[in-house]
Amino acid sequence: MYQYIARRLLLTVPVVFGVAVIVFSIVRFLPGDPARAIAGVQATPEFIEQVRVRYALDEPLHVQFGLFLQGVARGDLGRSTFTRRPVTTEIAERFPRTLLLASVSLAIATVLGVGAGIVSATRRNSLFDNASMFIALVGVAAPVFWLALMLQLLFAVQLRWLPATGMGSWRHVVLPAVTLGSASAALMARITRSSMLEVLRLDFITTARAKGLTERVIIYKHALKNALIPVVTVLGLQFGILLGGAVLTETVFAWPGVGRLLVDAILRRDYPVVQGTVMLLALLFVLINLVVDVIYAYLDPRIHYQGGGEE
Amino acid sequence: MRTTLRSGLTTVVALSLAALFLFLLGCPAETAEETVTRDTLTIAIGAEPESLDPVNMTSAPAATVGEHVIERLIYMETDGSLVPMLAESWSANADSTVWTFNIRQGVEFHDGEPLNAEAVAINLRRFVDPDVGAAYAFLLGSVQEITAVGEYELELRLAQPFAPILSHLSHSFIGIVSPAQLEGLSPSDAIEIPVGTGPYVMNAWNRGESITMSVNDNYWGNTPQIENLVFNFIPEASARIVALETGEADAIMAVPPQDADRLDANPDIDVVYETSVRTIYISFNNVREPFTDRRVRLAMNHAIDKQAIVDGLFGGNAFVADAPVTSAVFGHTAVGPYEFDPDLARELLAEAGFADGLDVTIHHPTGRYPLDATVAEAVQDMLADVGVNATLETMEWSSYLAFTAQPPESAEYEMFMLGWGTVTLDSDYGLFALLHTQQWNPNGNNRGFYSNERVDELLSAARVETDPATREEMYAEAIQLIWDDAPWIFLYNEGQINASRSDVGGLIHHPLENLSAWDAFFID
Amino acid sequence: MSTATATDATQVEQKRKKTSEFREVLKHVVRNRAAVAGLAIIGFFLIVAIFAPYIATHSPTQTSLVSRLQTPSAEHLLGTDELGRDLFSRMVFGSRISLNIGLISTLIGVVVGVPIGAVSGFYGGKLDIITQRFIDIMIAFPGILLAIVVVTVLGVGVQNVMIATGIASVPVYARLVRGSVLAAKEQSYVAAARAAGLGDISIIFKHILPNCLAPIIVQSTFQIATAILWAAGLGFLGLGAQAPTPEWGAILSNGRAYIRVAHHLTTYPGLAILFMVLGFNLVGDGLRDALDPKTR
Repeated sequence: MYQYIARRLLLTVPVVFGVAVIVFSIVRFLPGDPARAIAGVQATPEFIEQVRVRYALDEPLHVQFGLFLQGVARGDLGRSTFTRRPVTTEIAERFPRTLLLASVSLAIATVLGVGAGIVSATRRNSLFDNASMFIALVGVAAPVFWLALMLQLLFAVQLRWLPATGMGSWRHVVLPAVTLGSASAALMARITRSSMLEVLRLDFITTARAKGLTERVIIYKHALKNALIPVVTVLGLQFGILLGGAVLTETVFAWPGVGRLLVDAILRRDYPVVQGTVMLLALLFVLINLVVDVIYAYLDPRIHYQGGGEE
Repeated sequence: MRTTLRSGLTTVVALSLAALFLFLLGCPAETAEETVTRDTLTIAIGAEPESLDPVNMTSAPAATVGEHVIERLIYMETDGSLVPMLAESWSANADSTVWTFNIRQGVEFHDGEPLNAEAVAINLRRFVDPDVGAAYAFLLGSVQEITAVGEYELELRLAQPFAPILSHLSHSFIGIVSPAQLEGLSPSDAIEIPVGTGPYVMNAWNRGESITMSVNDNYWGNTPQIENLVFNFIPEASARIVALETGEADAIMAVPPQDADRLDANPDIDVVYETSVRTIYISFNNVREPFTDRRVRLAMNHAIDKQAIVDGLFGGNAFVADAPVTSAVFGHTAVGPYEFDPDLARELLAEAGFADGLDVTIHHPTGRYPLDATVAEAVQDMLADVGVNATLETMEWSSYLAFTAQPPESAEYEMFMLGWGTVTLDSDYGLFALLHTQQWNPNGNNRGFYSNERVDELLSAARVETDPATREEMYAEAIQLIWDDAPWIFLYNEGQINASRSDVGGLIHHPLENLSAWDAFFID
Repeated sequence: MSTATATDATQVEQKRKKTSEFREVLKHVVRNRAAVAGLAIIGFFLIVAIFAPYIATHSPTQTSLVSRLQTPSAEHLLGTDELGRDLFSRMVFGSRISLNIGLISTLIGVVVGVPIGAVSGFYGGKLDIITQRFIDIMIAFPGILLAIVVVTVLGVGVQNVMIATGIASVPVYARLVRGSVLAAKEQSYVAAARAAGLGDISIIFKHILPNCLAPIIVQSTFQIATAILWAAGLGFLGLGAQAPTPEWGAILSNGRAYIRVAHHLTTYPGLAILFMVLGFNLVGDGLRDALDPKTR
């Protein structure tokens, strides 16, 4: 097991390096002149030159990359060209908010999704099953930013039940978390349902039934435990996707997290911040995948540890 | 995982849910509830300041918030007149190369440090320090030496006379902070919470959310009436409006034109329309055929129905340009607009040899200025009516800037749309930088390669002339010449719309897109 | 969002390709009412896209400042936008753009991803390890993020959106096909082909890939849906199609400023995206069930 974890950790090293290369390239392969973009339209030629020197944009590429890696190793991602504050500070302030939003979304998605999935599976083809699976289909298909706008329009602008944007109290979390969690909830409902149905067909359930156990015990004690293995995997992956997916939701709800930071930074051509946030989100996702794989290997005895984990 | 729609029932349920939803959308909003706390004024602004460190500020939101905390030597009133702030008085030597400022005595920073000439000198030196690299350092570009010649006497030496120096010094970004705060600060470091001399003391900056301040009881001027001031950042215009309607905010900035009428109809809300300092234009590449022909340039100016753009797209909240700078700017003279006359435009084009039409390409930014792409489309439509077939090209902003910064021999553009904010409220910054021959790419911002000898003479002379009346005459002549040459399609000046609860008085709406609350009060 | 279904698709058991098999699948799809509904939705949008010039009542780009922001009426079925353009006509032409983006970006993903996965799986060894690390790097960007990064570098516009979403889907195909090839490689017919003296390339393309077709088709159906959603998301963020292109996400994004005075500008484009994505997802579900002998 430890060997497996060590191997997986080792495999992430080239991935992290590759992510760094891609992130570094974002600025360098931009069309146009990054120094000019950073300096702005009303900038004097002298100021553009200053910017070029300050961000080492006049150095050859490999030197720039070396500087970039050194910085990353020191935990220095440069300074925002917009606020001039260290990128790490900017991210450190916003990341907990994204984490909060993603966690609440995931909680909502899990409770709704797994709940609906179990009930649907046990009452297959009932009205509840059909209705919830239909809603799940729509939930996956609805563009998240559109759902966000519609919920905002309804609950914040028309009904005035919840604040439209910003953060502060728990009331601010509700709309963005529901929006962000909807697709995950839908996905989890479908996966839980199918996983549950599969397990219910297996031999040991038939045996349990034969032994005269009540349906309730069969479902919650025997079937659920086995059916939730794939759900746990998806749950972990969804968390990473939620962190990335927060980009759209945070933009609509003006939730001051890393997603909005990223979009603002792109629109302002604040490339050090773009690099930093992309780097962070990618690394987190890699880390989460790693944890998910390990948990999965732990839960499912069928996985052999010597495998690359890519099964 | 199989999902079958067994019965039509689910469809019915879904459809009725959708119907209910649409019904609720159509319902009128509930009436606003009153939740005003009387000792706090809340202002919702659209963008968070990038920084409140004077050397890092670049935006109007930063200026608006910063002004309440940090002050500069000279204040510019909404009418453009310059009045003493931290400098009580000033004078210049005979050729206006040495300026002496008498710093106000008995003023303390929020941390108790005294204000004196040395404190100001430290701040100004930092502002022009190339290692610090302030984006607006050019404001003091003419200053060669900054010296505290006495406890309360500051001297600025200029390389050559520079008339707009006073309006440059009045810029909100040249704020003076406590020298204690700058001590030991490395050039690349920035101040997070500025300690100034202003009417309000800044308490906290909740990043992404708000900035809070409370009144400075030790203020040298009139102490504000309202105890606390909160600036909330609400980027979404519709959310800002809801906040104002519910009383969550007492005032909001940047109301979209399409919402202004509806807000104005609300008896609890006052809407304020104000000019801004930004001019939007489409420049010709004046050294490229056929734009070297004045008739072609004139024709396109006559072909555009500026009023329709202003009324139709901006709901009246923009102003048809009547000069290359806006009316709030010192030196402005109204010489236009070019009459909307498609027949005359066609005639002029025919005279120039384009009776059968003309193909042009217009480059324009998207999302840089309000409705920029929309305006470009409208212009395209109007040009088509007089036989000018315009192709629109948009680009990423960074590429766009580089593309329009090419020297004349490699410039590939024919026409391009840009905006320019004359943030010093002095024609020098609006005209010299954009239209003087010295400023041709790559030396400056004359991207359209306009050149007129007499205009160059006037703009250079007005820079060093110290008599305001004479300067005004010079600018009047230059503006008339520029207008007649028509190096741009003169479009419009942006406006700004703010709104406040009717029970708030004394707010100052500035053409520089600042909203000031130090004179504000609640009406009972 | 439907990427998670990729793993399900890999589980689809490999089957020999025969006409009777195809009929069998078709029969199952047709019997599945949800899939039929999906096919109907896709068919509807296809017809709208193909005959757009005949269906549209106005020019999608003709502006009219006097008739801006009108609510739906007989003249303007879905109202007008901020420039007075007819929303119905813009949406009709927009269906072309969304379908194009969905199909072309998926094609890019297939054309690039499938050979990578096939070669990587077939040869194994160092080549496989290196390719897998590249794929890992691409997969390190969650969801729409990779597309955002690519568009940031390439610049905005419909073409770049296609490329960006296409690139973002490459790893999905590479992994899927690699898995299938690894399984197929061990089959007896590969050994037989090799014994017959066939080269690697023709073994991969003539024998192995045809047997991996089912999961690729299923995945592609979902991928089209995902690409449409991503493209709309990019358009919404202002990183996608640029004015005056009537891309649905961009229309929605522009309309957002007018949500209080003209909410039809946000409501209808959103519904259109929802239905188109729903259509592809339903067909994808149906195809997967039909191709999976366990659920037949």
